[in-house]
Amino acid sequence: MKKVATLIMVLMVVSAGVIFSAGEEEAVSAELTMAGAEPTSYTKFAVEVGAEIVFSGWGDATEQQIYIDGIERFSKIYPGVTVDYQPIPADFQTKLKAMMAGGTAPDVFYVDDQLMTAFGSTGQLLALDSYMEEASVTREDFIVSLLAIFTHDENTYGLPKDWGTLGLVYLPEAFEAAGIAEPTDDWTWDDLYNAAKTITEKTDYAGFGQNADWARFAPWAFSDGGSYTNADFTKATLDTPVINKAADFIMKMKNDGLLVTSADVGAGWCGEAIGKELIAMTYEGGWMVNYMRNEFPDVNWKAVQVAKSNAGNRSNVIFTNAIGVNAGTAYPKAAAAFTLFITSRENQAEVAKTGFAYPAHPDQLDLIIDPNDRAISAGGLVGKVAYWGPNTGKINDQVSKALERTYLGAMGTEDSFAEADKKVNAILAGE
Amino acid sequence: MNKQASLSKMRKVEERAAYLFLSPYLIMTIVFTVGMILFALYISLHSWNLFQSPEFVGLDNYFKAFRSEDFLRGFLNITWYTLLVVFFQTFIAVFMAVVLFKPIPGKQFFRTFFYAPSVTSSVVISMIFWWMYLKTGYVNLLMSKVAGIFGGEWNAVEWLNNPTGLFQLIARAFGGDIAFAQWYLHGPSVTWMALMVQAVYTTSPTFMIMFLAALVNIPPSLYESASIDGANSWKQFWKITLPMLRPIMLLVVVLGTMGCIQMFDYVKIMTAGGPLGTTLTPVYQIYTETLGINGPIRAGYGAAMAFILAVVIFVFTYIQRKFIEEKTELY
Repeated sequence: MKKVATLIMVLMVVSAGVIFSAGEEEAVSAELTMAGAEPTSYTKFAVEVGAEIVFSGWGDATEQQIYIDGIERFSKIYPGVTVDYQPIPADFQTKLKAMMAGGTAPDVFYVDDQLMTAFGSTGQLLALDSYMEEASVTREDFIVSLLAIFTHDENTYGLPKDWGTLGLVYLPEAFEAAGIAEPTDDWTWDDLYNAAKTITEKTDYAGFGQNADWARFAPWAFSDGGSYTNADFTKATLDTPVINKAADFIMKMKNDGLLVTSADVGAGWCGEAIGKELIAMTYEGGWMVNYMRNEFPDVNWKAVQVAKSNAGNRSNVIFTNAIGVNAGTAYPKAAAAFTLFITSRENQAEVAKTGFAYPAHPDQLDLIIDPNDRAISAGGLVGKVAYWGPNTGKINDQVSKALERTYLGAMGTEDSFAEADKKVNAILAGE
Repeated sequence: MNKQASLSKMRKVEERAAYLFLSPYLIMTIVFTVGMILFALYISLHSWNLFQSPEFVGLDNYFKAFRSEDFLRGFLNITWYTLLVVFFQTFIAVFMAVVLFKPIPGKQFFRTFFYAPSVTSSVVISMIFWWMYLKTGYVNLLMSKVAGIFGGEWNAVEWLNNPTGLFQLIARAFGGDIAFAQWYLHGPSVTWMALMVQAVYTTSPTFMIMFLAALVNIPPSLYESASIDGANSWKQFWKITLPMLRPIMLLVVVLGTMGCIQMFDYVKIMTAGGPLGTTLTPVYQIYTETLGINGPIRAGYGAAMAFILAVVIFVFTYIQRKFIEEKTELY
C-alpha cells in the first residue's frame, strides 16, 4: 500500500515538473515579431509570437459587433495575435472581480471607476506607459481629463475607449402643441422652467422628467461651481449654498408639478418616457441615439445642450470607460498592443462612424455626425468627469439618496444635503 | 471468541466501506463548507480586498458592523420581513392545503395552478411584479376600481418607491407623524410590504405541497372517532389537523425563517435597498461590501456581517425549534 502511495506521489511530482518545465520553455522560446501590415499613425511594436489573448467587455449586440469589427482590423495589423472576444453582458464588474480573484480574468477588459478602484491600487492592472511610449502614444493624444480615473501613482492603467455626457433631450411635438419655441443652447434654468410650465398646463405631456439620480443632478449642481467632494476627494462639499440652490430649483419644479419621475408616468427611465411620448424634456445622453433608432424609430426627438444656470454658467457630467490589461497576462505586449489599437484614432474613427460612441481623442470630435449626438457631446467641453476617488459609487449613492429624500418630502433640501454631507464625510473617513 | 473476533473484523470492514462511499461527499463538505466557513471566520478578523495580503484587525469588522446604521437598519428590515412573511406564508399554505385536500372538483388543476409561482424564476416574478407595482400599473388600477365602487378616489401609489412606514401611516391617519430621523419606529415601508406580498405569493405554494403531504399521513380514523364524539369540522381542524401538522410546521417555519433572513434576489432586482434604505437587507449588504459594488472591496467586513447573520439565524431557529417541538410533544 505504502509503495503504491509513494509511486503516486513520485508520479505527481514528476508530472508537475514536466508541466512547469514545459511552461518555462514556452516562455523562453517566445520570440518577438514585427510581422504584418503597417499601422497608420501610431507605431506598431514587437509582440509575443503566437500570442492568444482573451478580451471581455459588457454591451449589447450593437456594441459587441463594434468590437468584433475592431478585432478584425487589429488582426490585419497583428496577424500573429489571436484575440478571443468573450463578452459578459450582465454583472460585468462583479464577474470580473471574482475572475480576477480566482486568477481567470481575461487578458484585456473594460475598466470603469469601480474596477479601477478594485484593481488599480492593488496591482491587478498593467501600467501601460512604457507600451504607450513604444507606440508613440502620449496621454495628450486623449482628452486628458478622461485619464484622471485611470491614473494611479502617475501610472496609466487604462486608456479611454469612449465617453458620454448629458444633453437636454426633447420632443418637438410637445413644444408645437404648447405653441412655444423649441429649446436652444442659450436656455437658462428659468427658460426651462417656463417651457415646462406652459407644456404642463397646455398639453398632456409632462413638462420635464428627472429621477432622483446623482448624474442628472450633476449639471444643475456643477453649473455655478458646485461639486460633490473637494478636489482631492477628502471632504464632502454637499452642504453648500451652490448645491442647495440647484436642489431648491429642482424641488420648485417638482412641487409646481413641472418635474416628474419616470415612474410617475409609467416608464422605466426618462429616455423611455421620451420614446413613449410621455414627457416633453429630460436630461439624457448619447445612448439615446441608438435607443430611439431601435426602439422608437417613428418618434421625432431632438437635443440641445443642458440649460445654463440663471447666472449664465453651464456645466455637465462626463462618463467614461477604458480598456485595461490584466497584470497577470502571459502576453503583456500583445495585450497592450491590442488596447492601444482599440483606443487608437484609427479604430475610434471607425467606431465614430457607427454613431455608437464619442471618440476619446480631442481632435476627433468633428467625427460625431448625428446632429443630436453633436448637440449632446458639446457638453463634454464644460463637463466634469464623474470620479470622486475610490468611494465614487458610495458618494453618488448618497447624492441620489439626498435627492430621494427631498423628492419624497421626507426632508427639506438643506437638511437632506447636510445629512448627505455628513454621511459622505463618514465614508471618506473609512467608517 | 472466534465468532466475536470475526464480527468485529466485519464491522471494521463495513465501517471502512461506509467511509469509502461517504468520502466524495465528505471531502466536498470539508473543503467547500467547513473549509470555507473557517476561511470566512479568518477573513472576518482581517481587512482584505481579495488581491493583497489580509491585514489583521481583530474584531474591528464586527464593531464596525454594529456601529453601521445601514447594517442595523438591514437587520430591523429583515426582522419585520421574517415575522410577517413567515406568518402569512405558513397561514396561507395551511389554508390552501386544507382546502385542496377536500374532495373538490378540479382539485388537481388548482394544485398545479397555485404551485406555478413557486417554480417560476424569481427574476421573471420580479419583472411581473415590478410592472404591476408601477404607478400606472395594475395594482393601482385595481385599487382605483375598488375605490370607485365605494364612491371613493384612489391616489396612485408608487409601490416600489415609497419609504413611508406602516406605523407612520397609522400615525398620519390619526393626525400625527413619526419623525424621519426615527427610522427605527417607522415599521416596514410600503415598498418593503409590497415585496413581502410578492414573497408570500411565491413561497406559500411550496409549503402548501409540504402540508398536503402531511395531511395524507393523518389517519382517517382520528376524524371518524371525533365525528362519532360529535366534533364539528372546525373542532376537528383545531384538535386534530393542526396538532398533527405541527412537525411539518416546524420544518416550514424554520425553512421559511432561514429563507427570509437570507432575502437577496428581489432586493437586488427591484429596489437595490431603496427607497431610503427601507428594503436594505444584511445579505444585500454582505454582497455589496464583499464585492465592492459601490466602493472599495471590504471582504473582511462582509465576512463579519455574514457571521453575525449566521448567529442570528441559529438563534431564531433554536427558539422556533424549542417552541414548536415542545408543543408537538404534548401530542
